[in-house]
Amino acid sequence: MQELDDYLDKVKSLPPAPKILPELLSLLRKDDIDADRVVKLIAFDPGITAAVLRLCNSACFSGATPASGLQEAVTRLGFRQVYQLVAAVSGSRMLGPAQKGYGIDAGELWQHSVVSAVAAQLIAKSCGEDESLAFTATLLHDLGKIVLAEALEHVYSDLVENSKSEQTPLIETEKRLLGVQHAEIGGRLLARWNFPENITSAVTFHHQPAAAGNHERLTSLVYLGNMVAYFMGYGFGHHAFALRGRAEALDILKLKPEFMPEFMIKTFEQLQFIQSLVNVKS
Amino acid sequence: MPAPSLTGFNQKVVVGIAEMAVSNNQNVTLTTYSLGSCLGIAIYDPVVKAGGLLHIMLPDSTIDSAKAAKQPSMFVDTGVPALFRAAYQLRAEKHRMIISVAGGAQIMDAGGFFNIGSRNFDALTRLFAEHGLKIQAEQVGGLVNRTMHLNLATGEVRLKISGQPQEVILCKNSTTT
Repeated sequence: MQELDDYLDKVKSLPPAPKILPELLSLLRKDDIDADRVVKLIAFDPGITAAVLRLCNSACFSGATPASGLQEAVTRLGFRQVYQLVAAVSGSRMLGPAQKGYGIDAGELWQHSVVSAVAAQLIAKSCGEDESLAFTATLLHDLGKIVLAEALEHVYSDLVENSKSEQTPLIETEKRLLGVQHAEIGGRLLARWNFPENITSAVTFHHQPAAAGNHERLTSLVYLGNMVAYFMGYGFGHHAFALRGRAEALDILKLKPEFMPEFMIKTFEQLQFIQSLVNVKS
Repeated sequence: MPAPSLTGFNQKVVVGIAEMAVSNNQNVTLTTYSLGSCLGIAIYDPVVKAGGLLHIMLPDSTIDSAKAAKQPSMFVDTGVPALFRAAYQLRAEKHRMIISVAGGAQIMDAGGFFNIGSRNFDALTRLFAEHGLKIQAEQVGGLVNRTMHLNLATGEVRLKISGQPQEVILCKNSTTT
């Protein structure tokens, strides 16, 4: 833990904390959701406010008359939709830029994150798990990459050379070259931002779900959502597929490997919806 | 009577996941992005200069026959025949067809629980063997995400590998005309 904090303290430009997201998440966890507080929270952020109004008045949601205010827009869209939009806008701000240290172009990490999150949500639904939680945890699973990308850029040739000579998972190469890896650094950063422990744990262990203890189910959802995105081509960068197969993720959720193609088809069917999120402008 | 053809400007036609396109327009380059474990299958007849590109996602349509009826290009067993049939309509002929294949990336999974990429390629090679077809050029498997281009004027197939700056030539067809 200390070495993760030390590392984070040394990084010059950490992304700004997505202030609304953890608070909104805890508001929506309650049985009796306080609509006024949700609206007040969103109103703090002009970019998110605009996105909520735009989505509400878009062709798929708008009624006979456009919603004029945020309050009305939130009511019409519903908390769940609003929450996903907030997650999308916050996520795209952080994950949108290119991550040269990984060979990831602008927009690619964001695409990867959204497709993973949608896949994890679909798997959560079929397993009877909390869909919003799976969506959020998966959306943020690669946050650590934006912290490590700059450092990796300086050793990129080592990274490429290293993975050429031997089949090493990217996460192990990171650890060897930098002393830390992106999953644990992302989890630690989210903890500092007051995200709940289930999410930080799922992010920290998303390459080894069996190590996540109490949160192994959520972590397995993140793992499998991530896999679906890779298989479908939404996994980018140098040796993007250098990750280990963890059959335990299937065991933990009592899924058969044959379910993976089905989840790919379901995720594919959601692509139109994903596109609208990918194109969200903050 | 052949339709008039457009000349003078290049067009890029993007083939999405579970889609295909064929053309004999010499100004067209067919492109499919980010293959992952999916397979990109390019076919080209250098005599009539017609060809097509297919982006399949899964090996076997029996998993979801309703989906296959609506979107045959999602699966190897329904997409590949559809691609060839479409190319035949442009007077391409089977015995002249030059076939290039890319994609089918695989994570490091010794247990084979997540082997969609290799299952896709196995299904494809089985289908080709049944029909006496040979792959001219392939770059399949490995740890990388690939984008594939087919130039209909030359039949050249190029790949862009994610994380690498330069495109590479997978198949250079110009010599075979």
